Amino acid sequence: MSLSDEQFLRYSRHLLMADIGEQGQQTLLQSHVLIVGLGGLGCPVALYLAAAGIGRLSLCDADTVDITNLQRQILYKTEDCDQLKVDCAKTALQQLNPAIDVVAHASEISAEILELGADIVVDCTDNLAARQLLNCHCYQRATPLVSASAIGWEGQLVSFDFKANRRLCYNCIIDENAGDPTMNCANAGVVGPVLGAMGSLQAATVIRMLLGQFDQHGEMQRYDAKTGRWLYLTASPKPLCAICATE
Amino acid sequence: MVKLLFFGRLSDYANGVPTQIQASTAAEIRQQLVTEHPLLATELSEPQVLVAVNKQIVDWQQALQDGDEVAFLPPVTGG
Repeated sequence: MSLSDEQFLRYSRHLLMADIGEQGQQTLLQSHVLIVGLGGLGCPVALYLAAAGIGRLSLCDADTVDITNLQRQILYKTEDCDQLKVDCAKTALQQLNPAIDVVAHASEISAEILELGADIVVDCTDNLAARQLLNCHCYQRATPLVSASAIGWEGQLVSFDFKANRRLCYNCIIDENAGDPTMNCANAGVVGPVLGAMGSLQAATVIRMLLGQFDQHGEMQRYDAKTGRWLYLTASPKPLCAICATE
Repeated sequence: MVKLLFFGRLSDYANGVPTQIQASTAAEIRQQLVTEHPLLATELSEPQVLVAVNKQIVDWQQALQDGDEVAFLPPVTGG
């Protein structure tokens, strides 16, 4: 199906690019991305992916909007407080791009939601258990996973193309038994634009993956906004990884 | 000797730590810091602290070679 006149205008800045073009935009429009966590990372991810014309966005978060969220969770307004995040996000995203399909799941992540067949899962969660669950599911279903996190002035991004690579996963880097650190955003704070930077990188990675332009499986980027420094790291598969060393 | 890099907020605890040290593993580096830099050693004992040798994430027990750069990265788990 060819693009409509409205779509030609809306996505014109993609269509101008040789490595996206009409075919790439069609790919984006036919894609389904699951965003788990609609906090500081999930907000910019959802905004950019909706704007880019990802045809179906599934949103998963059980929380309601709190006034302490508004310093960084840029989808929400003051009057959204006490409303479900996924409902507020859906409304805002459909105002941005009415033609895409936005599905809200007001719950913790579950096997049922993960079985809905997303092309890519975006990890915008805030705890190790959820990250490991997403890693395990994505590995088993050969679904690409784009994972980010942030605290204070620091951000981290690591992505896995489990379709193309069956060794090296999140559990190889962060052991499932490591436990959560004592510091989190609720007790140590976080700078909003750090989440914006990492969420934007997640959205860009999703678009690259969907267009078949991703080749950084398991590579990690770390950002220290306090000093303006980036660190690029590689990792190796863990020989006895409980997730990816079992095939 | 190996070169030390404390990334992000770990650098806040690393004032006075030598930039190079003699050690055979990252775990030994942490142990050496306990007496003179206990706050840094405590931070390094947090779950999910990553060690990278020459920008490759490794186990704390990996054998170090002369001239290696050993980077310590604090956990980043929020979202």
